[in-house]
Amino acid sequence: MNVINNEPSDEIVIQDIRAGNTEAFVQLVRKYKRKVFGLAARFSRDADDLDDICQDVFIKIYENLGNFRGDAPFEHWLSRITIRTCYDALRSRKKEKGNVPLESIHYSLEDSAIGINQAAEVALNFLELALAQLRPEDRLVITLLELEEKSIREIAEMTGWSQANVKVRAFRARKKLKQLLEKQYEK
Amino acid sequence: MKSEYDELLDRLFLAARSKKPDTAAIEEHFETRLMARIEEQQSKQQLWFAWSWRLVPWFATIVVIVGIVSVIYDPLRSSDLFTAFDNGHEEYMTTSLIAGD
Repeated sequence: MNVINNEPSDEIVIQDIRAGNTEAFVQLVRKYKRKVFGLAARFSRDADDLDDICQDVFIKIYENLGNFRGDAPFEHWLSRITIRTCYDALRSRKKEKGNVPLESIHYSLEDSAIGINQAAEVALNFLELALAQLRPEDRLVITLLELEEKSIREIAEMTGWSQANVKVRAFRARKKLKQLLEKQYEK
Repeated sequence: MKSEYDELLDRLFLAARSKKPDTAAIEEHFETRLMARIEEQQSKQQLWFAWSWRLVPWFATIVVIVGIVSVIYDPLRSSDLFTAFDNGHEEYMTTSLIAGD
């Protein structure tokens, strides 16, 4: 079945794009931008960075659509490209590692006095700074595992790394994060 | 056994998970910006392509000129291996080459 809810299937849209229909590409972008933005937001520094990453993702999609064989759903291919682009972005800013002072935010177990939303905000900020101290591949794995709740198998498929490799990176990332927390509490 | 910091880390993750990034504002007019960038890239590529085609006659002219110059100013052939072959001294030259003379 090609048509669901009057919306053409991805296969049809992709065929149209390959035939040179740019409007079909815009349609594809509209359909998947939320997903790409949601995932890329976990790895971007600010709004401009996020916009750049997402543009890069869709440009790669546009340029490589000819290589998409259609063996797996388009969404899987899109996720892989998004992850790869985020990883490239993380690697390109590796030099900035350690520049952000983790001390600027203090997250405490006893912070129950502040509201849930505020606590989440503080946790997110703290985590963001802590994650920035990790190696790009470790950060990628722990973010997908803990924040996006992907399984080890899914992460392995998305990144192209072996499951054992993903497990090792997740373990390493967690260990490093714990060390950072310990340091925070010692102070 | 989970340590205190494991627990704290889990809490951090839980809190961060509960707060999904709000990207609605950045998503606005994203298609327009994206298509503008794609068009810009394509026009750049087309410019390079057009220039490379425009340069073809110049390269062809250079090749012809070099060819004519090489025919007019043909230097005297020395006793290199290929000249020796041409002149029928191949046996002598091959022996010299193998002997390392």
